[in-house]
Amino acid sequence: MPDKVTSLAEAAALVEDGATVALQSMATFTAPMAMVRELIRQGRRELTLVCLVGGIPVDWLAAAGCLSRFVGAAVSMEQFGLCNQYRKAVERGEIAVEELSETALLARLGAGARGLPFGITRGLLGTDLIDLQPDTLRVIDDPFGGGASVVACKALIPDVAIVHAHRADRDGNVQMDPTALWPDIRVFPKAARRVIATVEEIVDGERIRAEPDRVVLPSFAVDAVVHAPFGAHPTSCFPRYGYDSGLHLAWAKAARDPEAAAAFLDRHVRGPASHEEYLDGVGGVRALSSLERLASA
Amino acid sequence: MSAPDYTVDELMIARVAQVFDDGDQVVNGMASFVPVCAYMLARRTHAPNLVWLAGAVGLDPRPQRVPASTLESDLWRDSAAYIEQYEDFWSYALNGRWLTKFMVRGAQLDMHGNANNSAVGPDYHRPKVRLPGTAGMGDMGSIGKRLFYWSSTHDPRTFVERVDWISCAGYLGGGDERARLGLEGGPELVVTNLAVLDFEPESKRMRLRTVHPGVTVEQVQEATGFPLLVAEDVTETEPPTAEQVRLIREEIDPDGTRKAEFRG
Repeated sequence: MPDKVTSLAEAAALVEDGATVALQSMATFTAPMAMVRELIRQGRRELTLVCLVGGIPVDWLAAAGCLSRFVGAAVSMEQFGLCNQYRKAVERGEIAVEELSETALLARLGAGARGLPFGITRGLLGTDLIDLQPDTLRVIDDPFGGGASVVACKALIPDVAIVHAHRADRDGNVQMDPTALWPDIRVFPKAARRVIATVEEIVDGERIRAEPDRVVLPSFAVDAVVHAPFGAHPTSCFPRYGYDSGLHLAWAKAARDPEAAAAFLDRHVRGPASHEEYLDGVGGVRALSSLERLASA
Repeated sequence: MSAPDYTVDELMIARVAQVFDDGDQVVNGMASFVPVCAYMLARRTHAPNLVWLAGAVGLDPRPQRVPASTLESDLWRDSAAYIEQYEDFWSYALNGRWLTKFMVRGAQLDMHGNANNSAVGPDYHRPKVRLPGTAGMGDMGSIGKRLFYWSSTHDPRTFVERVDWISCAGYLGGGDERARLGLEGGPELVVTNLAVLDFEPESKRMRLRTVHPGVTVEQVQEATGFPLLVAEDVTETEPPTAEQVRLIREEIDPDGTRKAEFRG
């Protein structure tokens, strides 16, 4: 097996300007934040982001000017608010939004994963969101004469899917410990042309074989593995650590003002030259261990 | 016996809890303190077998208190099962057998029970306000669920004659429009910080049923951005009992986290 382990900077090269990126993100849950910071540092432009419910990574990428389009079911940091930088950019017309219900989004990606021209759902019938998006959503009749209409959702094949997980071996077998498994790790990578996984730890293959049922992505479906401890910070990585309320609050405050948002990104994202420097800047691994206690409380 | 003192959040939670029967299955999403507290109250009182999928992840969790997030692991770490979402949760939800009742909150809610969480303003692509997005409500409104709305902000900005964009299908233009589209289920009840409303069976227009103690019919109409139908037998909303209030304050949410939903 080829060794899939590489650096953040090299893995980020799989993401080109203008790419469609399926990004793991569900409000404050696990997102591949170390890779998001690397994409901002490298100055990616014109990205289309595909998320289930985009949280802080969407707001950081929007504030850094990396996005031209968002495809997903919602954008929210839950208790930390609505992602103000993203919201303002949409209101200015700088970021286009393709808003899908959860099943419509999953139908698009499920079709992409299985080589179908479209998937179907009963979701969204009667809403205004179908007519707003005729390029990807159409109401069709039941061909078997059942009477009920369904919504055809055009297949979506992202250029690259990026996820963060608990561990992987060098072959690229990626494991998650028991936690919430959202579609962003269950189906997004299956639909994408390339898959990048950042992980808390790189382990020996024997460690993976001890719990093969915890593998969420098999080696052949993974193109690059990057070692990034606390790589989801400030989002959560249950059961290893919880979300960082302090940094989310600081961002939510900064995001109300473009200059404060830029200063925040300079300090925490563009300033640090590496993931390790970022961790030092938010208190260091020692301080972050308080998030571990929070997760296991 | 009604409680000698209670607050409106406790009244809403007790009223919402009545919606759910023993043996129902329920789910909650983000920042949903009223539904979460109502489920926890129902499970401690009349519906001990209410099956709860917390955050659409954790089956029958036993949280010691209501956490700051109603989606994150603090709510569901101690669960009977973790439900995978893509295949499992959505199969259970889309199958007509389970999860037949669903609680929804929209930034806008209109006279025919349509909700908007998408965008405010006439130009969807250059909105005055970009809202979070339809998420699961764009599904739940269309797949035959019985919909129950809650709102802690009963005002003319939230209760509008016609939502700017329908991101959760209610009765659409009213009458039989929803039925003609082949959609089953639909909105049944709206529990707000002022009143409880339902939908008149023919026109499918929102109708005032009960006003909370101390609130008048006129005040509810003033807080609503369209002419309300008013039931002939409008009464007072039943206040929570002393035991319900004790359970909410002492066992369910001792930190008062639910109040976050009621801050302006």
